[in-house]
This record gives sequence, C-alpha cells and structure tokens, in this order.
Amino acid sequence: MQTLELRGVQKSFGSLQVLSDIDITIEQGEFAAIVGPSGCGKSTALRMFAGLERPSSGQVLAGGTPIAGPGPDRMFIFQEHALYPWSTVEENVGLGLELAGVSKAERLKRVNAVLDKVNLAGFNRYYPTQLSGGMKQRAAIARALIMDPDVLLLDEPYGALDALTRLTMQNELLKIWSGSGKTMLLITHDIDEALYLADKIFVMSARPGQIVETIRLSEPRPRNRNSDSFAAYRHRIMGLLGIEES
Amino acid sequence: MNKLLRNIWRQIWPFLIAAGSLLLLLQLGHLRQPIVIPAVPDVFERLFRDIGKSSFWQSIASSLYRLGIGYPIACFLGGLLGLLAGLSRNFAVYLRSLIGILQSIPPITWLPMLAILYGYGNIPIIAIIIIASFFPMALSVMNGTEGVSHTHLEVAKVLGAKRGQLLRKVYLPETLPAFITGAQVAFGNAWRSLVAGEMVGGMAVGLGFAISFSGEVADMKGVIMYIIVIGTIATFIDQFFLEFLKRRLLHWRYIKGGGDH
Repeated sequence: MQTLELRGVQKSFGSLQVLSDIDITIEQGEFAAIVGPSGCGKSTALRMFAGLERPSSGQVLAGGTPIAGPGPDRMFIFQEHALYPWSTVEENVGLGLELAGVSKAERLKRVNAVLDKVNLAGFNRYYPTQLSGGMKQRAAIARALIMDPDVLLLDEPYGALDALTRLTMQNELLKIWSGSGKTMLLITHDIDEALYLADKIFVMSARPGQIVETIRLSEPRPRNRNSDSFAAYRHRIMGLLGIEES
Repeated sequence: MNKLLRNIWRQIWPFLIAAGSLLLLLQLGHLRQPIVIPAVPDVFERLFRDIGKSSFWQSIASSLYRLGIGYPIACFLGGLLGLLAGLSRNFAVYLRSLIGILQSIPPITWLPMLAILYGYGNIPIIAIIIIASFFPMALSVMNGTEGVSHTHLEVAKVLGAKRGQLLRKVYLPETLPAFITGAQVAFGNAWRSLVAGEMVGGMAVGLGFAISFSGEVADMKGVIMYIIVIGTIATFIDQFFLEFLKRRLLHWRYIKGGGDH
C-alpha cells in the first residue's frame, strides 16, 4: 500500500503555467478528493500520480519513491470511460491481465469476479456501444480493479453521468473502497461528491493551480447530504472557490 | 434464411435500377441510331454466346490475374508506408509530397517507360496497378494512424502495455477501418488503371485488350458487352466482396446501440 505525495511541484505547458508550487500528501488507504474550477490543473496533478505527466520541477512520490511512469499498482480511471469500442466488456476488462500474459481461463475467472463486484455480471459479451453511460463507467472501473491496484486515481469519473446514476455510482465506489485499504484520489468539480466520498479535500484555485485549503472530514459514512455540517462545508468550499450563493 | 434473402435483395435492387436506367439510355440510343447502336437484347444475346467461348474467359482470367498480383502488393505497400508515416512526422511530410507528385501524373503515363524496361507483358500493367493504387491506401492508413485516440493509448500504457502491445492492441484495431477504406478506394484505382493499361499496353489478352480490339474492328456489340462485363465484375468485387469483408472485420461498428446515449 502506498502514500501519494507531490512535493513543490510546478508544471508548465510552454509558457502556460498550470500548477504552481503544489504540496499534497495522501496517506495510504485514505480517500482524498481535489476540487477546483476547470482548467486549474487538477487533472494534471492526477496524471502525474499515474505517471502520464512529469512535473516541470518538484517531486512526485508513491510510497516514498519517485514515479517514473505508469505502473500496475496505480490505476487511472478516465473521464470518459475510454473503453475500446472494438472489444467486448470481457476483453476490455481483461486487457490488463492479457497484457501481463495471464492465461485465458484465469482471466475469465477474474473478469467474472470483478464484473460481479461492479454489478455488471453477465455483460461479458456486450460491446461498449450497447451499454448505458453508467454501465460503461462501471466497466472502466472494473478494468482498473482487476489489476488489484494499491491506488485508484479517478479523473472526474462521473462527470458525464446523469444525477441519479451518479448517486448510485458514488455508493458503489464507497463499497469498493471500504475495507480494501486502497488509496483513492478523486478529481471532481462536484463539491457534494467530494464531501460525500472523501476523508480529505484539497481545494484548488484557478490557473495557475494552487492548494488554497485542505479540509479534513471525519463524519462517518454513509453521510447525510442534508446535514448541517455538510451544508457548512459546502458553504466554505464555495466561498474558497469564489462562488456566490444566492 | 428468409431474412438473409431479404437483406441481399435490399442491397441488390438499387444496383438493378441503376443498371436498368443505363440500359434504357442505350435502348433509346438504339432507337435513334439503329445502325450504329445495338439493341439491348442483341447485346445480351452476344454476351450469352460469348460466355460459351474460352477466349472470353481467358480475357477475364488474365485481367483478374494481373489485378490479383498488383492490388494486394499495392495494399500491403500502401499500408506499410501509411503506418510508418503515421508514426513518424518527418516521413509523413515526405510521403505526402511524394503522393502529391504521383497523383498529378496519370498512372498510364508510366507505361512507355515500363514497356521499354520490361517489354510488353504483365509486368508493366502490374506496376501501373501498384503505382495507381498504393497511395489511397497509404493516405488512408496515415490519417488513421495519426487519428489514434490519445486516451486509448494511455489506457493501455496505464495497464502496462509495451511498445509491441500498443501496436497490436491499440494501433491495429483502431486503424483497421482506415485500412479497409483505403483498400476500397485503392481497388477503384487499381481496376481503372488495369483496364486502361491493357487497352494501350500492347497486350494480346485481357478485358482492356478485348474492348479496344472490338473498337478497332467496329464491333459495337462487343464494345458494349465488355463495358457491361467490366462494370459488373468491379461492382461485384467492390460492393459485395469488399463490403462483406468490411462488415465482417468491423462488426462492432454495425452493432445497434442498446445504451441510453
């Protein structure tokens, strides 16, 4: 199991600075979230943990060692499911094992187990175009979970889903995480989503992205979205993000 | 079975109507110029008579032989060059310029040079087929490779794919539609240059030779019959064989969506 850490990280694309001097630490087994306006560089920070992006300066660490590239212990879940349209659910979910040379029989067993976990049992032979938005994202989560990673990095995974599906998916995600010991980092622009799911919320400012506040939550789960403390946190984050409430 | 027949019928009837309208024009021409332009039934009578002759089948066989060698080579070459160009920006710039030049030279122009080099025979015709049809394939595959989704590549990288695996698991399936589109366009070029090459290439056998020979002896029925034969063979290969192959290989594209968006 791993802690995740950004130490004094800066990132520029050409002359455009997206991250400025970011320090964050996520303890192992913790569920953390980053909220911030679009374009604040929160996805860039997440992609660094996945090894898909390198900092211009500073350090990106997993379990104390610098991240040099993608690794099977850190899985990334993309904004728009990113399933391969030419493959069935079974082939998509089993891709990581196939790349690692796991035998077909073993693969099928583990695909079925993980599909069961994300409530997609029996959809092995479906193609992505035959699935609803929520089911596609479940398959994408299964594709990551099958690798049994220590760390799950989620890049606005539910941004494209309708509100009802999103609530269901949030509960499913909590079920997957609880007791697993996995470290979770979720990027979202949905403040309620962060408050419902995370132990720790990093609030980021607009470009160049900076951490303006780290909020720790200790409310037991499942959390009540209508409670006073929930509303107080929501109010505080909105204030930090400069959103006026009417 | 019934459903299959209905599907086939649905694909065929537009062609029958299109062919019928062309034949109707021919018949109208016959009514105006009965001496020069033959009647449609006479053309078909000639066709059925020639079908019994071995020279007719020899024309088709030698044309298909040249096509059968030139076209696959062109597809392979075009696919390979297109793939390389898709992966290397510098090579893409070179290939685009090369294709720009080659496209402005009608393929048949190469024939005299090739004939001097190799003499009249199969080789110049096959070479012309390759020159004419490799570049639609190369262009299509190059565009397809450049258009490979960045996210699809990253998914595989996160899951631990090595370079060879990226090629097999992402590049290849993602560019397969481009390969097939390229092959379809390339076929049209190959067929046109094959017949043109046979017409002027001093050949003694082949569909192009047969039609130009008919023209030289003012055999109008023969000319029209060969036009029909040439059109029918090409339509069959393109619309049925290649189309069938496309639907087979890209079956995932023809699945009706069952999702909510």
